[in-house]
Amino acid sequence: MRTITAGVLGAGRIGRIHADNLLRMDGVRLKTIADPYVDFEGWPPPGVATSPDPAAVLEDNEIEAILVCSPTPSHADFAEAAARAGKHVFCEKPIALDADRVRATLGIVQTAGVKLQVGFNRRFDPTFSRARQAVVDGEVGDVYLVRVTARDPALPPAGYVKGSGGMFADMTIHDFDMVRYLSGCEIEEVHAYGAVLVDPAIGEAGDIDTAVLSLRLSNGGLAFIENSRQAVFGYDQRVEVLGSKGAIEADNETPARARLSTGAGVRYENPLYFFLERYQRSFFVELEAFFASIRDDREPPVGGKDGLIALLVCQAANRSLLENRPVRVEPLGPPALKRA
Amino acid sequence: MNQTTIGVIGIGRIGRMHAENLVHAVPDAAVKAVVSPRIDPAWADRLGIPVRTTNVDRILSDPEIEAVVITAPSGAHVELIKRAAAAGKHIFCEKPVAFEPGPIEQARSAAAAAGVNLQVGFNRRFDPSLLRLWQAVQAGEVGEVHSVRITNRDPKAPPVDFVKRSGGLFFDFAIHDFDTMRFLSGSEIVELFAVGAVLVDPEIGKAGDVDTAVITMRLANGALGVIDCSRQTNYGYDQRFEVFGSKGSVVVDNTTPTSVVTSSARGIVGDKPHETFVERYREAFIAELSAFVAAVRQGSPVLVGANDALAAVRVAAAAKASHETHLPVRLAEEDQRSSGGLRR
Repeated sequence: MRTITAGVLGAGRIGRIHADNLLRMDGVRLKTIADPYVDFEGWPPPGVATSPDPAAVLEDNEIEAILVCSPTPSHADFAEAAARAGKHVFCEKPIALDADRVRATLGIVQTAGVKLQVGFNRRFDPTFSRARQAVVDGEVGDVYLVRVTARDPALPPAGYVKGSGGMFADMTIHDFDMVRYLSGCEIEEVHAYGAVLVDPAIGEAGDIDTAVLSLRLSNGGLAFIENSRQAVFGYDQRVEVLGSKGAIEADNETPARARLSTGAGVRYENPLYFFLERYQRSFFVELEAFFASIRDDREPPVGGKDGLIALLVCQAANRSLLENRPVRVEPLGPPALKRA
Repeated sequence: MNQTTIGVIGIGRIGRMHAENLVHAVPDAAVKAVVSPRIDPAWADRLGIPVRTTNVDRILSDPEIEAVVITAPSGAHVELIKRAAAAGKHIFCEKPVAFEPGPIEQARSAAAAAGVNLQVGFNRRFDPSLLRLWQAVQAGEVGEVHSVRITNRDPKAPPVDFVKRSGGLFFDFAIHDFDTMRFLSGSEIVELFAVGAVLVDPEIGKAGDVDTAVITMRLANGALGVIDCSRQTNYGYDQRFEVFGSKGSVVVDNTTPTSVVTSSARGIVGDKPHETFVERYREAFIAELSAFVAAVRQGSPVLVGANDALAAVRVAAAAKASHETHLPVRLAEEDQRSSGGLRR
């Protein structure tokens, strides 16, 4: 297996997780991590260079692939810079909150002829991959109905909501991608009901904290999504696909499978607390897939187009919420204009 | 105190089941008469039902009979309720009472004027699991209700002939879900959006109905709800319920005929859910009749009545309209008035 040299931009929470995964991954050499705001004391381990300057990664000829893990507003800039420098790009989601900006980035990536994978990590979760496989293998038959239940364990910190782009762009975007992934279909239309039930401050910030959305799929099937910003019992992540032959369902995962039975009842474990615990494995597998697509010169399993489509579904959902009517998802349209 | 004497009007599948339940499982009830164009005498002999007739008046004019169970074809329900009420009989009527609010209101008025009880066959309210869920909500175990999910899927699509006279998915099938939504949430449905699809059987589409639907809604207490329906699972009768709130959630999962799990090199396999509503809601069908008989004997009001039938039909009409107009539909103010059917 050919070894690919990689660099990481951004050493926040997700950047560190990705970097640590690269250090454990066969066929990848992590050379440099750049972040202007991070004090690299005690991390990363020896052998990995650090720099406050992104150029240390972008301009290093030895580096073939770059992971963009910086704050969201800089994703598009760094993805474009990396593509222009001829590097393959793994970009955390979302590339940008504005669809035209995403289109521009995709245009630059296309011109540069590099690969772009977007961090829809849940596609690489072993449980959800198994559910998808049941659809691919025809175990459930034709897809009739998809359900995604996605609830966070606790409210984000105050102030986070304002910069998040709203619940649909911040949270539901993963669920839109999951519906597309599980069904293998496009989302044609969205209707959203939203409510502020957890925290009035979220409402004051112009956002919602609870939602149910119904979707029409391109094969004629239906889907729905249930969201909440706060499930006090833990990270609630369940999916289900009903088809012409039956259904496949993925339940929550727990830290242990122990069950306590006493006179007071039977107690099960709470779900894994949050996404870092629940989707730990997926973060590794998504990067393995990214580097394999570079090595084998294949399209990455989840690309810029998937990021753009999920964003367009978000926009339709936001509009539905505002206007209280079903909204058709804007089609992808012609290829993006190529920016010099 | 003597047993309460009952006549059963209509001996189809459900009528037979109710008569058997009354005889075998409701000790305070005695079934004296059954009315139907076709009655198997051997069946009636086995149950010890002395009077078998094709004439409803035989039951309505019998002073010994205190109450009737109406399980005739849906189209005859309201007329039978009016006649039974006029004859002073307490009434248990299968759902749907009618497909339109007007006739249900007439039935309600007739029962009220005669001073008799009118209970409607929303059996799920008497299911032990759903009752437990309801109690959890009432006791505040989930805190404030934020969202309610109901999954209702039949094992096999019905024949198209049935679909044609059933009133359609929203009136025939999801009607239970609309009542369950009101029951579990303790709130009324204010607005809904329904999407339907024909995926199981194109013939259902040709008959003007859908076989798959997702209905999302807003409730008067601010919570959101979602109902998903399918006419065919292939894996049994899929009945799941979940109420999610500020303190957590309570889930009712499917029940199975046995709890046996077989583990082998090929995998781990357990039972499918029960095959039909008869098995899944066996206890509920008995409990609803026990409650009906108890209310007659105690002179107390029914736990689920005409107001609930009315509310559910109004929601069904809104769902159908939403599906047809492809727009959210608000229920009129009078439709949202709490009907008192939630007391227990």
